[in-house]
Amino acid sequence: MRKLHNSKLILLTVCLITMILSAGCVQQKPLEKLGLITTQGYDMEGKNEIRGTAVVQKFDPMTKAATKVITSYAKTSKGLRQEENLQSNQKLVSGQLRSVVYSRELAQKGIIQLVDTLNRDAAIGNMVYLTIADQSASEIMEIENKNKGNLNLGTYIYNLIKQNVDGEQIISPTLHEFNHNYYDIGKDPVLPILKAKGKDVIISGVGLFKDDRLVDELKQGDLFYLKILVDKYKAGTKEMGFKTEQLKKIILKNENYTKKPIFSKIYVTIENIRSKTKIKLVDQKNVRFKVNVEVDSRVLEMTQALELGKPASIKLLQKRFNQTMKKKIEQLLLHFKELGIDPVGFGDEYEAHLRGRTITKKEWDRKYKDATFDVHVENTIKRTGVID
Amino acid sequence: MKVNIQPKEGLLVNAFLVMFFIHATQTGVGIIGLPRIVYLAAKHDAWISVFLGGLISAFVLAMIVLMLKKYDSADLYGIQVDVFGKWLGNALNIFYMFYMSISFFVILMNYIEIVQVWIFPELPTWQLSLALILLTIYAVNGGIRIIVGVAFMSVLGTVWIIFILFVPMQYADPKNLLPLLNTDLKHIVNGVYKTSLSLMGFELLMFLYPYVKDKKKVFLYSQIGNLYTTFLFTAITMVCITFFAENGLARTIWPVLSMFKIVRLPNLERFEFIAVSFWMLVILPNMCSYLWAASKGFSRIVKWKQKRGIWIIGILVWGGSFFIKARYQMNELTDFVAKLGFLSAFCYPVLLSVLVLVKKWFQRRKKSSAEAS
Repeated sequence: MRKLHNSKLILLTVCLITMILSAGCVQQKPLEKLGLITTQGYDMEGKNEIRGTAVVQKFDPMTKAATKVITSYAKTSKGLRQEENLQSNQKLVSGQLRSVVYSRELAQKGIIQLVDTLNRDAAIGNMVYLTIADQSASEIMEIENKNKGNLNLGTYIYNLIKQNVDGEQIISPTLHEFNHNYYDIGKDPVLPILKAKGKDVIISGVGLFKDDRLVDELKQGDLFYLKILVDKYKAGTKEMGFKTEQLKKIILKNENYTKKPIFSKIYVTIENIRSKTKIKLVDQKNVRFKVNVEVDSRVLEMTQALELGKPASIKLLQKRFNQTMKKKIEQLLLHFKELGIDPVGFGDEYEAHLRGRTITKKEWDRKYKDATFDVHVENTIKRTGVID
Repeated sequence: MKVNIQPKEGLLVNAFLVMFFIHATQTGVGIIGLPRIVYLAAKHDAWISVFLGGLISAFVLAMIVLMLKKYDSADLYGIQVDVFGKWLGNALNIFYMFYMSISFFVILMNYIEIVQVWIFPELPTWQLSLALILLTIYAVNGGIRIIVGVAFMSVLGTVWIIFILFVPMQYADPKNLLPLLNTDLKHIVNGVYKTSLSLMGFELLMFLYPYVKDKKKVFLYSQIGNLYTTFLFTAITMVCITFFAENGLARTIWPVLSMFKIVRLPNLERFEFIAVSFWMLVILPNMCSYLWAASKGFSRIVKWKQKRGIWIIGILVWGGSFFIKARYQMNELTDFVAKLGFLSAFCYPVLLSVLVLVKKWFQRRKKSSAEAS
């Protein structure tokens, strides 16, 4: 019995020693010796080359500037990494990559091969933001130098996008969502467009993709309608413009208060928007979709005093909202159809009703050309702030 | 060889632990890649295939328990000798030992591949396999009670991973599941077949049975264990189908880990590192019970000490790990073991239990007719 006990003890010791020793065999990565690539930009350079610009975050206690911008040229993105390493005293790693910027030129030609390498690399997270540069990506990366390395562009772009995604201004452009929309037959990706403005980076709009190619751009105003179709709103804000005649009935007529209008049109801002959109395939043969949009909101500002105390005037306002939104959404959908892009995901809905067979991308593209949409918008103004 | 084994009182385990044992041996490296493999066969109805696979394993498990109940306290080694005689029985015993050893090997190699791809690309295979094999040998040296204990701890220690599934669910697109039952029967059945590798492990009950204290309850607890596995696998497959785009899932080798990439904790950016490390806890009972059951053969067939068998298999497996160098070899091996497992864990036990039932029925009839005459 005693002997058996000893043999187990020896085995345990051997186990422990092996584990501890083999743990030491793994390559070490001390933080001070690493340069973390936080953002990476890609441009076309000539015919067969890409120019990569990386912003690298350093943890070097001796130097003051915490970031560095490195530019290099290669054929593939991993080739860029090698070239970049030649310009760095620290080993560059991409585990902290927060955002990737593709130039407009590159995006128009197709980015899937550059996205594919992000997917392939286990070190890169799924929540990296993908963005498009209004002109060149290096122009945006140069902003880091303009700010003398104090901006930390990677985190800045990340927060810029995250803040606006959380604030429901743009549609979330993570790598995962891009993949999902790209590999889905019945949906196309959407990515934000960044623009350099002085020492700052701003979001100037949203790029619409057909597969992996940038084909069109949406401005901020229309983006609201795209997001209402794709996503749910939980707390959005929207400015709506009307002609004076449209709301003439409910303009406040009390002479004591009425002042001359400032603008020639009336603008009303709604807030706290909660929206729900249902897309249904009503006719499979003729590819007819029913789009039902429900919007709840409160009115918080208008450029001319409106009589909001009466239920009838609220109803009129709701009706006007419905008309405007319906028109805009229809325009947008027709525009998408003309371009042959489907960022809303009508194809998904079509596919979900397709029994007995599967649809190919080409087939859906053909069907999509004949698609028709019935749009119904239902606005509810819940309240008008703390005053009538 | 004696058909029945009568272990000492101190070596017995409680019947409810069978539940954990079954679930722990079924859940292993298979589930990480399962959704994709079944998806390739049965498209978006893959979860139905997985569910049906679970039902089939419940049936096989029921047959196994039925067969085991015909004996007092026998394991597969004893039963095969009893049914097929000394020579054929022992040949089948050696075949089963081979099957369990190679299962052990495949689990080990698949896990090492995952570690190399996801965390340490530079880590040599032989180091990790040495560490894991020694750990397994250490656990198996402790005997069956330790192994069942490892299974119990592994289930309790990793049950929280299920709740992580709620994070990818937020990104899920339920439309991907529609239209239901759009795949034809042939492809769904093919999907069921592909599920078998991941559901393997319950056949080890045929070796654990003599060591269970209250044998009447084995049926109930083994079914609960299998039911839980079925539920879990179906849920994971469903989440994967909705989380990935149709062509995306087909391309992802380890969808469950890729899905975990999306989880982000405030002070831990990359959850999959935790998941991969914790997966060692999930596969440990797998490796332990396969090694234990395989090495048990040495003491049952040739009356060696089981310890010698453990070391022999351990060293052979470690030696084998030098021969696997690339992903495609791993694929071929895994496919081979999937086929082998389908035959020896799903088909063979059913066949054997039918044989045992027929044999026992004949014996009883002979006996009663002998008494009557």
